[in-house]
Amino acid sequence: MTFSWPRVFALARKDASELMRNPGAIFPAVLMVFAALFPVLLIIAIVPRVVGETLEGSGDFTEQAAAAAATIPELAGLTGNALIQTFLFHQLALLMLLVPIVAAMALATHAVIGEKQSKALEPLLATPISTLELLAAKTLTPFLFSLGLTWSAAIIYVLIAAALGEPGVWRAVAGPRLFIMFGLLGPLVALAALLISVIVSSRAGDPRSAQQISGLMILPITAVFVAQLLGLMVVGPTALLLGSVGCLALNGILLWIGVRVFQRETILTRWR
Amino acid sequence: MLISEHLTRVFDQRVAVRDVSLSVNRGEIVTLLGPNGAGKTTTMRMLAGLILPTAGRISIDGVELSTATAAQARGNVGLLTEAPGLWERLSVRINLLTYARLQGVVDPAASVDEALRHVELFDRASEIAGKLSKGLKQRVAIARALIHKPRILLLDEPTSGLDPASARHIRDLILGLRSEGRAILVSTHNLGEAEELSDRIAVLKTDLLAFDTPATLRKAQAGSRVVIELEGGERREFAIDDVADIPSIVSRLVGEGARIMRVTPDQRSLEDVYLDLVGAER
Repeated sequence: MTFSWPRVFALARKDASELMRNPGAIFPAVLMVFAALFPVLLIIAIVPRVVGETLEGSGDFTEQAAAAAATIPELAGLTGNALIQTFLFHQLALLMLLVPIVAAMALATHAVIGEKQSKALEPLLATPISTLELLAAKTLTPFLFSLGLTWSAAIIYVLIAAALGEPGVWRAVAGPRLFIMFGLLGPLVALAALLISVIVSSRAGDPRSAQQISGLMILPITAVFVAQLLGLMVVGPTALLLGSVGCLALNGILLWIGVRVFQRETILTRWR
Repeated sequence: MLISEHLTRVFDQRVAVRDVSLSVNRGEIVTLLGPNGAGKTTTMRMLAGLILPTAGRISIDGVELSTATAAQARGNVGLLTEAPGLWERLSVRINLLTYARLQGVVDPAASVDEALRHVELFDRASEIAGKLSKGLKQRVAIARALIHKPRILLLDEPTSGLDPASARHIRDLILGLRSEGRAILVSTHNLGEAEELSDRIAVLKTDLLAFDTPATLRKAQAGSRVVIELEGGERREFAIDDVADIPSIVSRLVGEGARIMRVTPDQRSLEDVYLDLVGAER
């Protein structure tokens, strides 16, 4: 049997319609955008205004920013407050990678568990749809939504840099590192989060417990983020590319597992 | 039209269905009766091409069911699942449109209209599925099963949990579908419904215990009799194949000089036959 994109789009379209009528599913993802943007607003704009001192003047990040210039090419040629702001924008951008994870998790668990709870899987499986098409359809809408949300957040991030940063900071923020992070690693991370959520959802009875398990996906990114903040490491473009390759391999493994979980008989007889 | 031969399904060493052979012809309703866990849903799922049998063969509208033909077979069958399984946040129309697209029908919108007219819900198309009554949801689910105009319908407990009026409506709908020449297999626990709808009845308890017309099932279980009370209180019982046998018995007794006070045909109900077959305690 050939893979039918019209069937995938038909189901994905239905999922999108359901999503629009389910604000509870979208809310955590939108909240994560604000949570990811808040630290940069706090450190770049709010704190300097409250304490009446520039970041350069406080001297807190001067050494770290200068050291990071060797790893992050976008920092080259910048000095003073612009260097520190750009450094911080790059450091805190990693937090934005949580947006595709949270969005994918929130939406995928609803997409799969919603079908289980409404007992809609059996009539769905009684159509000519193949299980691979079902897996593709169940990941397509959450993937596109989380990608759209992540890219929107990235654009807002650059706009914040343009509005609140020193002149030229936004150009240094919107450099190759950000493009690798949101154009390559972001989608791969979203896909991994989706596949994990879908696999976990097949065994979970409600979206919350599925999200708790697939939420473990946040840990590696949080660990890298904290290590950056502590000055233990600087994630440059090379590290991001390596991370993307690792994530690609992880997706291959997850897809292999996902295809096995999405077997007609398994869904009908073992999914609870 | 729908044929199963020696159908067996084993799950992790547990035999769910064993050696079941049955058929449903065009314009015929066959009812599947059996206690909970008898394998009715497993049989339905196999016949719908959802799961493959461990052994045996299934022919759906002339197509032998296999891994390669299962998708095609599913496109030839309309399955009403035990729960309506509607997308409750979406309108009736979007529910059906999605299925029309999944079934690959040429004009999804027209098919939805036709299916909705079939179940007399055309004017409720824009309503949110979750807000419909249980009976109406079941009718939407039947419309969904009809969306691709299948010639074979598998209906798993179509009136389960419905109020009498809704159940009546669904039964009338099923009879109407039969008159259109569809082959219909209905699974139910409602023996009255089985008697009303069925051209043939299959009794299942892992094995197929019986498969015949309701009248033949009663006869085959050798239960039909007539009780004749004679003057003076004497009671005599005669085994009969049919109520048509009674006049000749009465004539013979009268010929022998008996004075007959009362003649009571004592045909066994389908319930008696069913309970004897499945070996249930009364």
